[in-house]
Amino acid sequence: MPELRRDPVIGRWVIISTERAKRPSDFNIKHADESEMECPFCEGHEKKTPTEIFAIRKPGTKKDTPGWNVRVVPSIAPKFKIEGELERRGVGMYDVMNNIGAHEVLIESPNHLTDIYQLSELEIQDVINASIYRISELEKDIRFKYCLLFKNHGLKAGGSKKTKHLRSQLIATPVTPTRVKEELRGSMFYFEYKERCVFCDIIRQEIETGARIIMETKTIVAIAPFASRFPFEIWIMPKIHRTDFMNIQADEIKDLANILKTVFAKLSKALNDPPYNYMLHTAPFRRTRRPGYWHTIEEDYHWHIEVMPRVTQVAGFEWGSGFYINPTPPEEAAKYLREVTL
Amino acid sequence: MSQLRRDPVTGRWVEIAISNPKRCDEFDMKPQTKKGGKCPFCPGSEKMTPPEIEAVRDPKTEPDTPGWTVRVVSNKFPALKIEGELDKRGIGMFDMSNGIGAHEVIVENIDHYKDLADLTQDEIRNVILKYKSRTIDLENDTRFRYILLFKNHGEPAGASLEHSHTQLVALPIVPKRVKEELKGAQNYFKYRERCVFCDMMAQEQQEKERIVFENKHFLAFCPFVSRFPFEVWLLPKAHNHEFKSIDDSEIYDMAGALKEVLARLKSRLNDPAYNFIIHTAPIRDGVYEEFHWHLEIMPKLTDVAGFEWGSGLYINPTSPEITAKCLREACAAK
Repeated sequence: MPELRRDPVIGRWVIISTERAKRPSDFNIKHADESEMECPFCEGHEKKTPTEIFAIRKPGTKKDTPGWNVRVVPSIAPKFKIEGELERRGVGMYDVMNNIGAHEVLIESPNHLTDIYQLSELEIQDVINASIYRISELEKDIRFKYCLLFKNHGLKAGGSKKTKHLRSQLIATPVTPTRVKEELRGSMFYFEYKERCVFCDIIRQEIETGARIIMETKTIVAIAPFASRFPFEIWIMPKIHRTDFMNIQADEIKDLANILKTVFAKLSKALNDPPYNYMLHTAPFRRTRRPGYWHTIEEDYHWHIEVMPRVTQVAGFEWGSGFYINPTPPEEAAKYLREVTL
Repeated sequence: MSQLRRDPVTGRWVEIAISNPKRCDEFDMKPQTKKGGKCPFCPGSEKMTPPEIEAVRDPKTEPDTPGWTVRVVSNKFPALKIEGELDKRGIGMFDMSNGIGAHEVIVENIDHYKDLADLTQDEIRNVILKYKSRTIDLENDTRFRYILLFKNHGEPAGASLEHSHTQLVALPIVPKRVKEELKGAQNYFKYRERCVFCDMMAQEQQEKERIVFENKHFLAFCPFVSRFPFEVWLLPKAHNHEFKSIDDSEIYDMAGALKEVLARLKSRLNDPAYNFIIHTAPIRDGVYEEFHWHLEIMPKLTDVAGFEWGSGLYINPTSPEITAKCLREACAAK
């Protein structure tokens, strides 16, 4: 009998097929030879990108020259424009706004690597530090309400056809996006009712049951969520309650680097380098002091990372209902990932 | 230059390229070529599917034999099962239920190589009649709260079988997207005492820029806040909250409008993969004035990537104004 499971944060239902559960080998991911153009993100090609915004680089080396570990540049094809004032207006019954925003690319290695686990833990720590720095810089721009850090790995996940060079993207937007709002609202309702953070409760229950734990360190845990939308969906969460990713502490950065390296190596090995999206869910920038607006957010929201392997097609049913069909129970996905040896 | 536009129903923002848009000939589409071979939906293979539920067939023929033109069967690999009582419960902080539901397939025609767009208006009418009769039948089952009718065309849109078909799923809960849309429509109604979809149609008919096709009972247009290039919505002009109360003259016009739009998409974009979904009110929910049933067609021309997933904010490289013009002209080209 298939099971319906509900996500405790936003109330989304998922159908988990328990009978014809799909094993990793059932997904049969193939990779065509993808011819790549000359990569603009490799060390030595700094002039091919827009001018550097920030870099972690060897002392004495100059901006837009080799000698860096992590480099942040504006996107070559930005989805949002950084210049201008925000203008909102109405067109009849519709609302319109100009597309002010920031779109940056965080190049995670000077070498032409393609997945995060190929970096050393120290290098991953640099990547984490660079993203914290950029998000806190973007927060200073009062036009922005939210900053989304995400990664598209592989063509099916919306990755570029031109180069697979390891990178993530940052987009700062003038509105709090719908999905983020849903999650914020869900955590707020849970808190109102129970006076506890829903994510802390999830972590507690998962550690107690153990069946959906993929990996655990002192401060960070990686789980296959109870209502996983996708086969091998992974959530990475700090065990200590923190609202903003920017407030992550040094020992947590170390643990996070360790978890990212191990979990992505396992995922890549288990599913033969599947396409995936990865995104950071953190609290929005909080400047609006409308009375009562962000009243409990410090206590009710908990930053985390969601990883969504794109091995099944999202079809009409999912689009129409927001209701996902997942052929791999998260318990099996977690067990499988725990047992993969690297 | 781009513009952010907000959907008046769900409040979802979409970024739309205004200057330098992606034109319809720039989408690199490979037509959905069909391989053929043994197909459970072709006449003669009736025994390969679960038993027939309903069919439009020659009265001299028996169920589960050839002689039909539209055939409804249970899905052989259903996402939900029809037998059993609903059992909702909690596991610690988590909620779950057993997977009770119905999952049916409506085979639209006998020809393996013909899609919905290739059928005549009369043939499409017969398909829509089955959508209606199956919905009415399943609504009598008190375990169900929502009936979802949808179509996946082409492998990139999630179709696993080539033979043209529509799917119907009856669910024991009201899905989240539906709730969101309902809530948006209810809020709009509370404030203005008018249906948001009726208002939308009035504005579209006045501006005309985004209209693709129109007949007596239906309006097809590219929504102002299109999430995807070539997204098209089909709305009945008369206000009605539920699909199942569609009458015969409306069904005939819906078939005509659906054919026009699908055929134009096919000719303009080289047979794109697409999904279409009928959005209707939940069963026995007491929503009447606020909601307006409609059909949304979403061609799969772009990949949904991390940003869209994480934010729910879509980036559309082709404005609905350009799309509508392109699809209106497709008619002249025919």
